[in-house]
Amino acid sequence: MIEFKDVYFEYRSQSADQPATRAINGIDEIIREGEFVAVLGRNGSGKSTMARLMNALLLPTRGTVWVEGMDTSKGEMVWEIRKTLGMVFQNPDNQIVATTVEEDLAFGPENLGVDPAEIRKRIIDAARYVGMEEHMRHSPHMLSGGQKQRVAIASILAMEPKCIVLDESTSMLDPKGRKEVLNLVRTLNRDRKITIILITHHMEEAVDADRVMVMDNGRIVMDGTPREIFARVDELKKVGLNVPSVTQLMHELKSKGFALEGPVLTVEEAEESLKAVLDKRRKTRGAPDDTAGAGAPSEVIVRIRDLTHVYMPGTTFEKKALDNVSMDIMKGEILGIIGHTGSGKSTLVQHLNGLLKPTSGSVEVDGLECGKKTLKELRQKVGLIFQYPEHQLFEETVYKDIIFGPTRIGLSVEEIQERVKRVLKILGLSEELLEKSPFELSGGQKRRVAIAGVLAMEPKILVLDEPTAGLDPQGSEEVFSFLTRLNKANGTTILIISHNMDQVAAYCDRVAVLNKGRLEMLDTPRRVFSHGERLHELGLGIPEITRLFRNLARAGYPVSDNVLTIPEAVREMAGTAPGQGHDEGGMFQ
Amino acid sequence: MGNITLGQYIPGESVLHRLDPRSKIIWTVLLMVAVFMINTWQEYVIMGAFIAILLIISGIPVKQSLKGLKPLVLILAITAILNIFFVKGTPLVKIGPVAITYEGLISAVMLFFRLVMLVVAASLMTLTTTPMAMTDGIERMMKPLERIGVPAHEIAMMMSIALRFIPTLMEETDRIMKAQASRGADFDTGNLLKRVKSFIPVLVPLFVSAFKRADELAEAMEARCYRGSKGRTRLKQIRFTMLDLKASLAGILFLILLFGPRFWLW
Repeated sequence: MIEFKDVYFEYRSQSADQPATRAINGIDEIIREGEFVAVLGRNGSGKSTMARLMNALLLPTRGTVWVEGMDTSKGEMVWEIRKTLGMVFQNPDNQIVATTVEEDLAFGPENLGVDPAEIRKRIIDAARYVGMEEHMRHSPHMLSGGQKQRVAIASILAMEPKCIVLDESTSMLDPKGRKEVLNLVRTLNRDRKITIILITHHMEEAVDADRVMVMDNGRIVMDGTPREIFARVDELKKVGLNVPSVTQLMHELKSKGFALEGPVLTVEEAEESLKAVLDKRRKTRGAPDDTAGAGAPSEVIVRIRDLTHVYMPGTTFEKKALDNVSMDIMKGEILGIIGHTGSGKSTLVQHLNGLLKPTSGSVEVDGLECGKKTLKELRQKVGLIFQYPEHQLFEETVYKDIIFGPTRIGLSVEEIQERVKRVLKILGLSEELLEKSPFELSGGQKRRVAIAGVLAMEPKILVLDEPTAGLDPQGSEEVFSFLTRLNKANGTTILIISHNMDQVAAYCDRVAVLNKGRLEMLDTPRRVFSHGERLHELGLGIPEITRLFRNLARAGYPVSDNVLTIPEAVREMAGTAPGQGHDEGGMFQ
Repeated sequence: MGNITLGQYIPGESVLHRLDPRSKIIWTVLLMVAVFMINTWQEYVIMGAFIAILLIISGIPVKQSLKGLKPLVLILAITAILNIFFVKGTPLVKIGPVAITYEGLISAVMLFFRLVMLVVAASLMTLTTTPMAMTDGIERMMKPLERIGVPAHEIAMMMSIALRFIPTLMEETDRIMKAQASRGADFDTGNLLKRVKSFIPVLVPLFVSAFKRADELAEAMEARCYRGSKGRTRLKQIRFTMLDLKASLAGILFLILLFGPRFWLW
């Protein structure tokens, strides 16, 4: 289907004094018809460049790429190649051309000069296949991210391709959208025998592939079945990737001396393999509990009372986004806020620094009643970081961008310089960056610089909306490591909106669950994630580790049904399995 | 945000929805010219009734069709007030040196209705025609100009892409403004210069992102084999059908009914 022979690719540099950047560094690879290939790699490893080489959006600097025997560098074949190999891009918004779904679906076939009656037939078929036939007349901006990507896939199906390349197409979606797209891709591969190349940095997405390729520095450094690849945990770590959390757990258990077989990719497999080593006769221990560990009741820093917010009241677009929410946020805690898209999470946090005014109810931050007069003070106390904060960078240099906020609150130059230094240290950025343009930085650096601009205001409360969206595993880890640093060292209260339950379980002290604008739960992660069924009803998941142990406990094995993280799980296993050392103090001894 | 009528097509299956966009464009223009020409109350009534009938046929909610009035409210109010006070005639009420005249009041009311009718007529077109169909119509109407070097297809394509991205960019502006406000930007205080300057932190990221979007969109279009108008077919062949013929006849009859009396009654 696709063949790479000794392929190199260099991006020409923008200025003469810079060398060209080599993005692809010698690829020899064959992808067969009907295969489902996942391509993994950290940001900048060359994944996207490789995808663009496949459909002649880029041409190799050296070497040849063939698609179904067609050489991509031969200009006359380019339309045939793009028809055979369709591509779905990362940003759902930037690939929908037309103002209605049906016209967008028709765009490809129209360009191919297909007969109108045939176009009509094809787009109905494609829309039905992706489950969007009821949205044919809708305007794209009314659709969810997952729906937009399904439209993008359908528009390619309408061109009747043999192969679809998805270039990080799930990275900007919420878990629901991601699932929609992945299920669709899987069926396409299975039922229509369409070759799928899925580029991603979400390890879980690669589990179902026939083959996984791992890229680093423009080369394919590993190639094999998911099982083979995910067995090489340490090698993956070296190229900035991780493995699915159950795989990681089993790997750690093995290194602790448990007799487990082969790599494990799913919760179900892990369950089977743990059952073999667990001793059913031992008595069940109590669940680990957090209340014992929690110190004296701390101080309330944010007090929200009966908060209701209605968007565009009195119009046809009227929407109640928050409905009578009351909650206290404690000083110095890390609070996770979870809920499906549209549950009111963003609306809630925008009240904390006065971007939105309550329709009714009140918000009090650190003794300040939120209102017009307190706005300026409020915004110093509460730092709000939106999704993809790097999109708000605008100054010529990193330094100027970081000091944008601090200069506006009338600090002295010395104080500002002092703060910049402190912030860089917390974020782990070097001072050399300060004179660079923010636009030359890498994705992860840009994000940290944008966050630096808010941190330099030294807020008491920091609110982050999906701080790791679009970052690769290493980038995400860095974000959380400085957030914990900030929380420990400065006592900053941190609120994190997240769709990633593993992160919430590992880092948050408490979790607030929102549903349809109402506060559904507010408790420790352990207690919240013990309501797996309820969360499932709300369209939310629980960490895979938690699910694994709950299943084991329900099957009668002597483990706690409430384990949150990998270290906890390792300890739990060490305590329960026969002949494995120490026992921790449980509740019901 | 989000309440802009421009390019906010409302799906439907009415006669108006199904007309050839070209006949809709031509008839909207004719209708608007007619609205400017009417001046007696009889003509106002006939015109008003006609537009009301069109509105009912289209199935568009009245509220929606009046949305376009919002940005005009201020102009409307000022001209109405000017009319009330400065049109000479029989005074009704006297306030100091100025008088509200009967004629002034009438002309203000008429002006008001004229504007409402203009807006509703225009929204009837935009709300029943997808922007894509509209640009198609314009493209086809400009086709003859291609011979003298006017890039009809490209212009139409740009228009429809612009329409497609208006809501996206509005949302984005809103988001960036909020983000900058969160780190201390202030858009509402200070003199004019300061306020204009305060928008730099919004405009720069907005432009950066718009260029990035343009780049990605171009790539996505290329990947879907877009190569200009050459060899391109259309899903919706716009065709002047029996329906358009009937509608046009109805339109002509209406114009005769509206303006005919001017000739007969003399």
